[in-house]
Amino acid sequence: MHSRTMKRLTAGMLLVTMTLAACGSDDGGDAATPSSAASTSAAPATDAPATTGGSETTTAGGDDTTAPAGDACAPEDVVLIGQVRDETNPYEKSWLDGGDEFAASVGLEQKRLTYGDDSTKEQDQIKQELSSGNTSCYVLNILPNTEGDTKPIADAAKEAGAFLVTQWNKPADLAVEDYDRWASHISYDGVESGKLIAETMFHAMGGEGGIVALQGGLATTAAKDRFAGLQEALAANPGIELLDEQTANWSQAEALTVLQTLITKHGDKIKGVWTANDGMALGAMEALDAAGMSDVAVVGIDAVPEAVTAVADGRMTATVSSDGPWQGGVGLAIGYCAAIGEIDIASLTADNRAFYANQTLITADNAADFATPSVDLTEFDCANVFNRVSGPLG
Amino acid sequence: MSAAVPALRLEGISKRFGAVQAITDMTFEVRRHEVVGLLGENGAGKSTLLKILVGLVEPDTGTMYRDGQQVRFRTVTAAADAGIGMVYQEQSLVPSLTVAENILLGCEGHGVNAGVFRWRKLRELAQAQLDKIGSNIPVRAVTSQLTFPQRQMVEIAKVLSIEERTAFDPVVLLDEPTSVLDGPDVAVLFEQIERLRERASVVLVSHRIEEVMAVADRIYVLRNGVVAAERRPTETTTDELRHLMIGREDTGSHFHAERQADCADTPRLEIVGLSSAHFHDVNITLRKGEVVGLAGVQGSGREELCRAIFGALKVDAGEIILDGEKVKARSPRGAVQVGIGYLPAERRTEGMIGTMSVAENMSLATVGTVCRGPVLDREREKRVVDDWIERLRIRTPSGSVPMRQLSGGNQQKVVLARWLMSGDLKVLLLDHPTRGLDVGAKSEVYALVRDLAANGVSLLVLCDGLDETIALGHRVIVMRDGEVSAEFAAVRDAKPRPDKIMEHML
Amino acid sequence: MSIDARPAMRSTGVGTSPRRLGIFARRRTANASAVRARATAGERVLKWGPLAALALLCMFFAWRAERFATVDNLKNVLDQSAVLSIATVGITFVLLLGAIDLSMEGIMSACVMVGALLVMNSRNANDWGLFAVIPVVLVGAAFGLANGLITTRLKVPSFMTTVGMSAVGLGVAQLLFDGDQPRVLDRPLRAWAIGRVFGFTRATLVAVVCIAIGVVIQRHTRLGRYATAIGSAEDIVALSGVNVRRYKALAFALAGAFYSIAAVLLFLKQGTGNDELAVNVNFAAITAAVVGGTLLSGGQGGVLQSIVGVLIVKVLENGLLLLDVQPALQRAVQGVIVVGAVVAATWPLRHRLRVVK
Repeated sequence: MHSRTMKRLTAGMLLVTMTLAACGSDDGGDAATPSSAASTSAAPATDAPATTGGSETTTAGGDDTTAPAGDACAPEDVVLIGQVRDETNPYEKSWLDGGDEFAASVGLEQKRLTYGDDSTKEQDQIKQELSSGNTSCYVLNILPNTEGDTKPIADAAKEAGAFLVTQWNKPADLAVEDYDRWASHISYDGVESGKLIAETMFHAMGGEGGIVALQGGLATTAAKDRFAGLQEALAANPGIELLDEQTANWSQAEALTVLQTLITKHGDKIKGVWTANDGMALGAMEALDAAGMSDVAVVGIDAVPEAVTAVADGRMTATVSSDGPWQGGVGLAIGYCAAIGEIDIASLTADNRAFYANQTLITADNAADFATPSVDLTEFDCANVFNRVSGPLG
Repeated sequence: MSAAVPALRLEGISKRFGAVQAITDMTFEVRRHEVVGLLGENGAGKSTLLKILVGLVEPDTGTMYRDGQQVRFRTVTAAADAGIGMVYQEQSLVPSLTVAENILLGCEGHGVNAGVFRWRKLRELAQAQLDKIGSNIPVRAVTSQLTFPQRQMVEIAKVLSIEERTAFDPVVLLDEPTSVLDGPDVAVLFEQIERLRERASVVLVSHRIEEVMAVADRIYVLRNGVVAAERRPTETTTDELRHLMIGREDTGSHFHAERQADCADTPRLEIVGLSSAHFHDVNITLRKGEVVGLAGVQGSGREELCRAIFGALKVDAGEIILDGEKVKARSPRGAVQVGIGYLPAERRTEGMIGTMSVAENMSLATVGTVCRGPVLDREREKRVVDDWIERLRIRTPSGSVPMRQLSGGNQQKVVLARWLMSGDLKVLLLDHPTRGLDVGAKSEVYALVRDLAANGVSLLVLCDGLDETIALGHRVIVMRDGEVSAEFAAVRDAKPRPDKIMEHML
Repeated sequence: MSIDARPAMRSTGVGTSPRRLGIFARRRTANASAVRARATAGERVLKWGPLAALALLCMFFAWRAERFATVDNLKNVLDQSAVLSIATVGITFVLLLGAIDLSMEGIMSACVMVGALLVMNSRNANDWGLFAVIPVVLVGAAFGLANGLITTRLKVPSFMTTVGMSAVGLGVAQLLFDGDQPRVLDRPLRAWAIGRVFGFTRATLVAVVCIAIGVVIQRHTRLGRYATAIGSAEDIVALSGVNVRRYKALAFALAGAFYSIAAVLLFLKQGTGNDELAVNVNFAAITAAVVGGTLLSGGQGGVLQSIVGVLIVKVLENGLLLLDVQPALQRAVQGVIVVGAVVAATWPLRHRLRVVK
């Protein structure tokens, strides 16, 4: 986080007078993933994994003849590496924790790497790891810092012959299929996130009333997708009126201020507040609290711990989780299965090479289950790693 | 204490800065209630001596005595505790503070209690200082709103405040106090020095020999870091002092009066009915090869007129005609294009770029002549620059030395060279061309002025001193309150008397 | 030393007329009445321009945005300005020096976390109540002092020092944050930010008190006056025997202390401690100060000017939001108006600033 701050400060120093115009793009850099997100469990008790897009036929069996036995790695030779931005982010920490659990389940250890929002550092770390010894049994589960970082990472892995799984950031024109050891790219559909929470909120409102929307940094894809999801939900619910849409730049503090003003503007007409991330939802709740408006429904995205608590307490209506521990585990699992020959990458369907994964809606009903992050190890069995596929990237 | 013990005595003082021996075995004395004049060219050791006296620099060898007691000053504060204070050449008042704060800055005494100002007390204390010099400047005024001479008075009051922290009679060092004052203000200052004499000893450093002669009881002439002579004004002449300072024989021709060429009769620059906020309906004609001295006190509008001719100041009405053609583009760029050059008074801030090299500074206005297409031709630039360095005898190791490393006189020559380089220079406006220069450098600038005029360039010159204005000009035009109030012919051997000109300035 | 202690020769020679003055012997005494006339039009614009701009903005929004001129909304604007105002009071002292402080976010983030973890919260058993303010202010002042000492003693430009210090502060904040936001459970304490007195939030009143303290420090103490003096002519102040480095360092420390108070209000208002609460505050504060007439060149402006700048920024934010301007356009309009305001404020001084780099 330091380097981003430094960059922001430096740029800002030069453009001091442009601050207000400029701050819209500041938080955009990491907004393709939740800005500070969830510690969640994989909801082991439920049969949660929806299987909408998952296909049994795509997983390759152990004795698959298309995987030459000579190329397969011995399970004990596999080296597992997980890389995220920053462990101080609870969501990213839970991701690495999930990776540890998977590694332990197959008798290995995960190497935990963090690069602190620094693309250069991320690339260097990967090159460093892949520069030594026999890298053909290396498995990388990577969160690329930006879309621009994904191709160099894929190229580096290809050159080293290492198995790669990436998540969240990938340019649309970069095809996973062009790489023989880049097993999968996993992402989440922002449109679906936005829609899920909107529908839940509308339901809580009884299907009618006015709402306001607090968007993220306007320049980011995540903000646009999530808002598009809200609009889809609005189209299906004519009883709901969108009174106002403003941006609060993913910021908790800004959300408080903006909503405070929106309350002056619209008063009691506001029955629901849709926000593009949980930070803004928390800010919005404070504004509502200060105005004495306790019966307004608030929803957010990312499932940050405090939002999950608020949902459990009934102060907040819903949030959505991408399930960090699962992401950390399943990325390594896919690569591990490919390395030991359980999965043949070349024969995977397009839906399994680059896909949206299911998201978990957190409401008062299941919030308690998300209080402590945990994983269901059976989901990491080579036969189950693609169970959460919800559809192809698009 | 006996009156025979000098207020301040330095014995055998030497100071070396790197390779430069600034002062060698100097002995110097200031007696009680005496005004000591200090003359010397730049580099003669004046500023080093002052810095030693005021605690900014410690001498390598030698001893200092204050009222007979040996002392050593490591800081300005230590010198102030011993009653020695300086009125700096570049004024040392903070513009945004009030007069009262400036006077007591750093030693507010009872004016501050636990870090909090007690304004009434502070103003009383400051008023007491101003009363010492009989000044009626309001202590509440913000310093930036004072005139230059007023600020100088405040500064003197500030220096006098050291009286309160010491048992000694103060020694007040005045570093070039008259260099930016005009005649009447100088008179006021000298009255003040007379007043100071009653409570303090004064060391007066000045470039203007006449002034030092007028006010000092004793004069030290420094040259090359040693005391070249000690004189009483009554026993010497300005010519002798000038001779002592420069150590050269040609002092009589300081202004190069014999080289004043006759000018042609063809008009070159005609200023017709020029008016702005600062001057009104000014009509002046410069003939080809003529030097016109423009005299006037502060506020007469002469500086502004100069800037207006150059296009750096907006005018409300009037025309400027050059060689019979109206100058249309009223901007510095337009002026340069038609052959009008301007040498600003604020050399350091407006005339040069200290961090850039001599060569770059020189070719700034005429980059076109050393370019091949859009690309700067370094080789050609170097040739041209070296040529001018030699012709103007600019003392610099090479053209690539940063400008700020040069002495003031040499800097001024570089700035002048910038205009001389453009072959088609027709008019040159010189705004205080010799300000801050030593005698030798001044003399060289005068010679340049003569040469330029002889080559047909017309010059409009604003000088600090009337003597300069008169000596340089073919004519002297006097401005008062934004209008031309008089005009004097000033051809060689028939120069007007300064007091006659002065009458029209006030 | 008293004046009496000096030799009696003081009184001799009074009335000595200037001797041998020749051509200079004309008198012209300094005319005190001429002094006031020199306050230029430019200085007046710098002084009153921002206030006039604020008035114009308010009039415009009152005319165009129906809810703008309601008592509730104006109270809201004041409430929303509280945190930024206090932080801006702090940075004003650094700007007066002619230095810059980019460590505000770091310092405030660290203070937010320290404070949120000391009061009754969801993470630990602490319950310091209002006393938590003391260590928080000490932390803020310590960070500021570190800025000042590094800048003055090691002669590092304040730009670099404070960028670094901001990173340190953010690092500390992240360590304390540790992935889990502490919720502030002390409702009575939170009332210091969100409670209301005569309809104004208490945060507003706290800000007013801080501004008043800032004004007194700026106008009536050595620290404030020297900061201004150093900003306009540092070498001169040093020549007068003032310990410039000390006052510079103190100005940074004072700024840090103000940031910490702003941080306390911030986390009490938000009800949680989060290392990202203070994001963007630094620019907003510098922008506000400059718009108000506290220029980056130092020695110009002051606390009240800066606060006018804060109000301009916040009124603009609020008004545009009420006007139903598209969100993306709001940013652009804010930017344009802010740049315009700065240009207008510095225009009369462009000669003095000479070169803008």
